[in-house]
Amino acid sequence: MKLRMMASALALSAALIGGVTLVPPATQAATLSGGFDVGPGGFQGNFNPLAATAGFTWLSVYFEPLVTYDEKLQKVVGVLADSYEVSPDQMTYTFKLADAKWHDGKPFTSKDAKFTMGLAMDAKSGSVLAARLKAVSSVEAPDNHTLIVKLGAPSASTLDTMTKVMMLPEHALSSIPADQLAKNAWWSTSPIGTGPFKFTKYVTDQYVELAANTDYRGGKPALERVINRYFANPAAAIAALRAGEIQFTYVDSNDVSTFKGDEAFKVIEGDSFVVNYLGFNHESPIWKDPRVRKAVMYAINRDAIIKSLYAGAAKPANCAYVADQLVPQGIDPYAYDPEKAKQLLDEAGWSQINGDKPITLLTYYTTPLATNVLAAVQAMLSQVGINVVPRAVDTPTYNSIVLNPKPDVAQFQLVYAGLQNGPDAGSINVGLNEKQIPPAGPNVVRARMPELNKALDAALAEPDAAKRDGHYQDVCKVMNSDLPWATLWVANRYGVVSSKVKDFIWTPAPGGGPYQAHPEKWSLGE
Amino acid sequence: MLLALSVLIFLLLRLTPGDPIDAYIDPNIPMSPEQLAELRSQLGLDRPLPVQYLAWLQQAITGNLGFSIKRQDQPVLDLVLSRIGPTVLLMGSALVIAIIAGIATGVISATRRNSPVDLSFSVFALVGISSPAFLSALIGLYVFAVRLGWAPSGGMLTPGAEFSIGDLLHHLILPAALLSIAQAALIMRYMRSSLLEVLNQDYVRTARAKGVKEFWVIAKHALRNALLPVVTVIGSTIGLAIGGAIFIESVFNWPGMGLLLVNAVETRDYPIIMGATLIIGACVIVVNLLTDITYAVIDPRIKVG
Amino acid sequence: MLARTPSHSPGPMARAFHRFGHNKAALFGVCIILPMLAMILSYPLWWTFKPNDIDLLAMNSGPTATHWFGTDGVGRDVFVRVLEGGRISLLVAVASTIISAIIGFLVGAISALAGRWADAVTMRFVDLVMTLPPVIFLLVLASIAGTGIGPTVLVISLLSWPLLSRMIRSRLLELRERDFVLASRGMGAGLGHLLFRHGLPNSIDILVVYATLQIANAILLEAGLSFLGLGIAPPAASWGNMLNAARSTAVLEQFPWQWLFPGGALVLAVLAINFIGDGLRDAFDPRAELN
Repeated sequence: MKLRMMASALALSAALIGGVTLVPPATQAATLSGGFDVGPGGFQGNFNPLAATAGFTWLSVYFEPLVTYDEKLQKVVGVLADSYEVSPDQMTYTFKLADAKWHDGKPFTSKDAKFTMGLAMDAKSGSVLAARLKAVSSVEAPDNHTLIVKLGAPSASTLDTMTKVMMLPEHALSSIPADQLAKNAWWSTSPIGTGPFKFTKYVTDQYVELAANTDYRGGKPALERVINRYFANPAAAIAALRAGEIQFTYVDSNDVSTFKGDEAFKVIEGDSFVVNYLGFNHESPIWKDPRVRKAVMYAINRDAIIKSLYAGAAKPANCAYVADQLVPQGIDPYAYDPEKAKQLLDEAGWSQINGDKPITLLTYYTTPLATNVLAAVQAMLSQVGINVVPRAVDTPTYNSIVLNPKPDVAQFQLVYAGLQNGPDAGSINVGLNEKQIPPAGPNVVRARMPELNKALDAALAEPDAAKRDGHYQDVCKVMNSDLPWATLWVANRYGVVSSKVKDFIWTPAPGGGPYQAHPEKWSLGE
Repeated sequence: MLLALSVLIFLLLRLTPGDPIDAYIDPNIPMSPEQLAELRSQLGLDRPLPVQYLAWLQQAITGNLGFSIKRQDQPVLDLVLSRIGPTVLLMGSALVIAIIAGIATGVISATRRNSPVDLSFSVFALVGISSPAFLSALIGLYVFAVRLGWAPSGGMLTPGAEFSIGDLLHHLILPAALLSIAQAALIMRYMRSSLLEVLNQDYVRTARAKGVKEFWVIAKHALRNALLPVVTVIGSTIGLAIGGAIFIESVFNWPGMGLLLVNAVETRDYPIIMGATLIIGACVIVVNLLTDITYAVIDPRIKVG
Repeated sequence: MLARTPSHSPGPMARAFHRFGHNKAALFGVCIILPMLAMILSYPLWWTFKPNDIDLLAMNSGPTATHWFGTDGVGRDVFVRVLEGGRISLLVAVASTIISAIIGFLVGAISALAGRWADAVTMRFVDLVMTLPPVIFLLVLASIAGTGIGPTVLVISLLSWPLLSRMIRSRLLELRERDFVLASRGMGAGLGHLLFRHGLPNSIDILVVYATLQIANAILLEAGLSFLGLGIAPPAASWGNMLNAARSTAVLEQFPWQWLFPGGALVLAVLAINFIGDGLRDAFDPRAELN
């Protein structure tokens, strides 16, 4: 029985390595724990805001940008900028900075802001924002409280991008060369920001702990600590929430029913700003005929799927947008009509084009909800004679297939995907503009539609907000008639918070925001 | 051996579709092709494969396994080493539970063959073997953590609390018990069938004929010989337990190698996968060696080759 | 010369069959698996629903007279999916078990009986395969091979054989030192003779126990593959991917029939197969006592 002894010895020594101290757990006074990085808006294990493609809900608890969205994601408001001004030609942005202090007590000045902009615009630092800040021609700091950003060409998405630029302290980071910055341990050991909470520790893959920043300019936070726990999947986070170990997490929409009607929890519902679509691979000959693409729209009973699978919490989309100001009157609603779909397919000669040969429907969505949606889509399309076979793969596999400059058309004749359509309506440009065909960008369906390009370019270059909406209506009209995608719906997303938590602000913003969450006001009642 | 393993893993990884950059791209945050190329060349992904491998090997020999791609501030060696403790603790506890439970029930079943006790143990073992690790983990989590509240729902320590052994054990017991089910069931079945086999051998009959008490027949003569195939099974379940541990660790958020690997595979974090595989491989080799040595101890006829 | 055996004594096959017939557990297993197989194979003839028929108006309904096992998240009949899933799961399990048993036996036996060199090389190779973390191995194999029945069989077979070959080797290493093997070696028996005349009969119990457990294991591996988004891709049904519905808390808690029935079918099938395997082991064992 040597093995048994060995195993127990190993177990014991492992316990000893862990460091033996017999101290009872400290009392958990005014600590809010949550799964802030659970779900599609989260980015567990990332501490570097320059490299963040998501996870801003959490990062903005201790870092702050100059400007951010309000909690409804409708307008951009100041955070570290008390106010901002945009010149009439949309080429100059002037930010008046607030009186703020870094967590180590040093004052925040325009020099820090200029330094941060420099890092964000430099691809060498690992910044994912560099491409989006390409339009910026200069950044000036005329005095300690003013930052002026000048553009070389008008770019409507500049303010949206600015909300994602978290201010970083020059005095802590200037000594590190830009190309070494991402490798530095500073991010996960001793980062300092200006937010209402300051970083205390990170326990690898377990949790991040923040403590109240008592000198916060917006007032002393009500909570003493905020803990962000990491979960490998939403089911584990829900278990922890229901066991009372955490007070908040994102919840997949098909699990929401578990919490409805439960007094102990509050369900927060919000627009996902992500439009789901079936993307036709326009390099595949089978989708050439617009009648075939129309038939797909008519064949799918979107209302039934929304009513049953989404429990009503989604809006059918007849173009990339569902917001009133972006959708023009009189577009085709593509009401469910399988007979019309069959007729269109007959007219197009579908039996010659493809017939009942299997068509791969590629997706990176692996949630139970998506599996059900695809099963429904498959069944509906097969009724009109289109035989799709869903194939769910992980994100890297998906990207390697669809972003390949020389794609294998047989592997993705159709994709089921989602793309952000707000709060900045211009977000969809990258998925549809011909200029964004891989490798240049993520126009994975290889849409080459001159009218659509024209409408998108016009919208992006339009300085006037009201006129811009008009251009996006044109985009919508073209999408609705030419069908680069079979647009499906924009679904709602959910978070669930314990009823004990007061003044908690959360919204399922794409990428986690950022938005004005006022973490300093969050509190725990009994 | 480890060299062969590292070559194999290296090649297999490069055959997997998608690279670290593919895992990182978010279609909503477009990056220019130049920027992607820059990132790939920073990571050395644009060089020919043999060059990449040799560069990795050269560093690995000096004990430098490189940096994680996703967490660029983390050296791979530190990350992997910090996970060995928790995983060994989890798997060790599970193994101890499994061996004790498996051998005890196996012996009882074999000596009371076809009795109700045997039958119920066998059925229990079969149910244990036949429930997928992720399902029993999900159900166990739901029943014991959510409904009954006997155990925490995950993690290794209470966040924000000071370290204590009691807290650790509290977090350990549920995942370890769930992880041990399949192993215990497997050990029990092999123990039972192997002991039945041995009980039919001549020397056992001789011992019985000599009038040795049944307890001593089993304890002194039969058990030792019956353990031989069981030791193989125990040795190999350690390799397999890593598989089960991956599901348990991801459901219970146990900060071990399994969780590290799953996350690394999702993000195609090559250096982590290489480093972790290598260290797991080294552990399995050591365990197999120990298995062989244990044979020789149990059965003196076998020389360790 | 030995006396000729009396003609009324039954042959070994008949004896084995007789012993099997007296094993209650084994017969119980047969009584479960045969009706199950019959239902699985014949369901299109007598059941009204098809596995991929959706009905969004009747989703998540509990067991009723029309839907005996209830319906799933898109209103498909769970009963028919359990049967269809059984077809696919058992097909995958049996096929992959046969392949991996052949590989495992050959490698293990050759390693034990073909001399030191072969032993060293093959066992190092087995070690190499066993040291690969299964998830990586599965992921890589499956992503190269793709999803579907064929690739799943391939992946599971390639992952499963090393355990068997180690067990076969350890059994035959012991055998190698036995007198009758030493004798037949001394008389110049070839490797083929050693493998199939001595190796196979002496490892038949291991093979049978392995095969039965491996069928269960293969079903579970298939489920694990589906959990990772590989294996049998939905909407095709398999017991494994049906169990995945339990990932959703709502299904786990509120619609238990969606995972209890496939889970129950899986456990029942595995249980029955194991009983049969045990019975076979006892029946074929040439050393088993006639009691």
